[in-house]
Amino acid sequence: MLQHVRLLTLVLALLLAACGAPTAPAGETAPTAPPADAPAPDAPAATGGTITIGSTAAPDTLNPGAAYLIEAFDVFELVYDGLITVDLRAQAQPQLAREWSVADDNRTWTFTLHEGITWHDGTPLTSEDVKFTFEMIAGFDSFALLKDYTSLLESVEAPDPTTVVITFSEPVANTDERFSALYILPKHIWEPFDEAAAGEFENVEMIGSGPFKMAEYRPGEFLRLDAVKDHYLTPPQVDGVIFRVYNNGDAMVQALRTGEVDLIDVPTNTVVRPLQSEASVEVVIGNGLSLSDIFFNVVTPENCPPDDGVCSGHPALQDVRVRQAIAHATDKQQLIDVVLLGLGVPGLSLVTPGHGEAFASQVEDYAFDVARANQILDEAGYADTDGDGVREMPADPATALRLRYSYPSDQSTDGQRIYELLRDQWAQAGVAIDLTPLDADALTAICCPAFDFDVIYWGWGLGIDPASLLYITTTEQIPTGISEAGYSNPEYDALFQQQLVTIDRAERSALLHEMQEILLRDVPYIIPWYAQTIEAYRSDRFTGFVIDPDGLQNLNSRISLTAITPVQP
Amino acid sequence: MSQRSDYIIKRLLWAALTIVFVAVLNFFLFRVLPGDPTRTVRDPRLTAEARAALERRFGLDKPLVFGTIDAPFDSQFFRYLGGLVQGDLGISFSTNRPVADVLRERLINTVLLVGVGEALAIVIGIAMGVVAAWRRGTPLDAGTLLVGLFTWSLPTFFLAIILLIVGSSYFGLPVGGIRTPGFSGNAFAQAMDVARHMLLPTLTLTIILLGQYMLIMRSALLDVLSEDYVLTARAKGLTHGRILRDHAMRNAMLPMITLIALTLGFTVGGSVLVERVFSWPGLGLTIFDAVSRRDYPLLQGAFLLFTVSVVLANAAADLLYAALDPRVQQ
Repeated sequence: MLQHVRLLTLVLALLLAACGAPTAPAGETAPTAPPADAPAPDAPAATGGTITIGSTAAPDTLNPGAAYLIEAFDVFELVYDGLITVDLRAQAQPQLAREWSVADDNRTWTFTLHEGITWHDGTPLTSEDVKFTFEMIAGFDSFALLKDYTSLLESVEAPDPTTVVITFSEPVANTDERFSALYILPKHIWEPFDEAAAGEFENVEMIGSGPFKMAEYRPGEFLRLDAVKDHYLTPPQVDGVIFRVYNNGDAMVQALRTGEVDLIDVPTNTVVRPLQSEASVEVVIGNGLSLSDIFFNVVTPENCPPDDGVCSGHPALQDVRVRQAIAHATDKQQLIDVVLLGLGVPGLSLVTPGHGEAFASQVEDYAFDVARANQILDEAGYADTDGDGVREMPADPATALRLRYSYPSDQSTDGQRIYELLRDQWAQAGVAIDLTPLDADALTAICCPAFDFDVIYWGWGLGIDPASLLYITTTEQIPTGISEAGYSNPEYDALFQQQLVTIDRAERSALLHEMQEILLRDVPYIIPWYAQTIEAYRSDRFTGFVIDPDGLQNLNSRISLTAITPVQP
Repeated sequence: MSQRSDYIIKRLLWAALTIVFVAVLNFFLFRVLPGDPTRTVRDPRLTAEARAALERRFGLDKPLVFGTIDAPFDSQFFRYLGGLVQGDLGISFSTNRPVADVLRERLINTVLLVGVGEALAIVIGIAMGVVAAWRRGTPLDAGTLLVGLFTWSLPTFFLAIILLIVGSSYFGLPVGGIRTPGFSGNAFAQAMDVARHMLLPTLTLTIILLGQYMLIMRSALLDVLSEDYVLTARAKGLTHGRILRDHAMRNAMLPMITLIALTLGFTVGGSVLVERVFSWPGLGLTIFDAVSRRDYPLLQGAFLLFTVSVVLANAAADLLYAALDPRVQQ
């Protein structure tokens, strides 16, 4: 027996030793990356340091043609250059291109590149690379998220090493997003690939031309980038950036507290207050490009997709008055206060305030007014004939206004809460909802193009272009599975086509406003809120993040990461 | 002798059959899930055309089981089987990397973490079980039993997050990951860096797992200790240590071998909960993410790996049992 007790003690001692011994040097042995080049003795004090950014997911792949996750695009933004970029107010700014102009036909764009740019491996970057990239992506259908940026592309010419002429077959309105988000790739790396090989290329060396270059990549763990100190446009002050993965949001917040990371996207609003009270942590809250949405199944029998359509939506949802009444019965402020702890802005349509003048801020939303909601439904003939608190169809007392409701249970931790609030709010107007939580894939299977649902709560991230989400309510997207509500309105469709080719910003904004008004009038969607971007950083480690209260916020954007400097102890 | 080799051959044949059956089943299992790998990402840029191109790239445009009359075997199923026979597990949809690469990398991480955790739990659990059984009825027994039952019923997630916060706040231990990014040093320093990262997740696993070993060891040993031959040994005047080692432990270890072999088989599956809290990129976490992205090739490969290891561990236990206990062959 003594032997066994000794064994136990030994194991415990080992555990304690392992726990205790390496603790002391932890501070020193957890250094950030050693600087690539030894700093010159007379270097200014406020440079150096490697910032560690925590995120709750790893990049899916480093191949820009195959990546889907925002975490991958966060990396591409630092490593690759676009022809242009957009600032926090969504205004176009130079990047690879020093200057550019559009011809009178609104189809031909001429770019002049900076002189003497090189790729991270030293090869010169010329207009040939730009021409190659556009043509390669235009030819590769499976380059999913980039391919769309080359639609209507007619030709790309490179008359001399610093000049690129891009011609579209028609005028194109969303050029800011196209030219900024289509990363220019090195011809000498990508040229040998056919479409299949390009799709499977892992691109672990990620040769780009941006202000940071690949240093070390461990899939699922972290990705380390070194600063390109002689970058032609925006040389960073810091020595490098580490993107580090935490698969658990609470753990990531703890890592910020212990200083293991310097910057995070705050994973849940409940930790905002505790973090705000930490002396060395700064919490920044601002506009983002995302929204949550509640959509109704409004697809009509004639629009039901012949192949995949089930189209089992509740008949009452075909009546715009019912949807308007539900909009009146929805208390967006309560949802924001309870679910987001107040950190959100009431939603309006499929364009966000972050899109600037294209957002129809002058339009008035449905007021939260239960009496008005009940009045609309009474007048429309939806009476509660059996007195159970739920209204019935006018001509069919057997069919109650009882709607099936689902949300993506694997993506939305607040989904249950939102359901309970909506259930109680809509019950005031005599509309009942029954919950079926489904994971996102199962939800897609009933959603679209099957249209086998009544109401779904979900969310979207949007592009820089204000119309990036407006195409999901066009008629042509009903059979493709892009349209979620099955909404169809020829007037809206015509406006959508028109704005695509309207270059003049003011003119285009007017069209976009009109589209938002139509959507608000017909209520295929209720947008409960525009979520705010909430980020937190160690103010005792880095300073100089670029923050604009009226612009978009993204502290791990290139704009901030090339501007920040370390805090000297 | 021939009876014995018959048994071994039969056992191995059965194991091989199980693996083939599961390999076929795996293909259909994940495709029964509702959802579509090309639709798991909601992005306004993912147009219908792009999705169709993705389906072609993933081979999802092919018929499921049988192709056309001209090429009846040009289907998803036969391409999967054909690849499998050649040792090709395909390309993971969600990570765009060969499935074999992903699994190899994650398997090492998982075996490191769960293997060490299990080994510690087995050693400590058996030791505690022996102590409790030998001192049956004393406060020491009661205390050990209480500890065993308590740790066994602790929710993994809860224990993990508590250890994480305490360990990182007061002992300077890392919050997550396997190593410090950008860490440079010699092999020993790097090993110590990994050990520091391993400490909290391993401790969590050990605490959660040791209870079951302790309880089974205790009850098996109690059974044996009430046997007549133990009484005889006592009567002969043997020391406590010799009775335990030579007479009791040998027989009490039989049920432990089954349990150990089974858990070692499942070790490969990793521990989703511990891996998630401590951001340990092991197989458990990989499977979890693969399900939500409907990454069929990765799921098929991972489940094949699980099957092989569980089946082999079971076969090993059976064979070992046969060697230890001649009655099994009858």
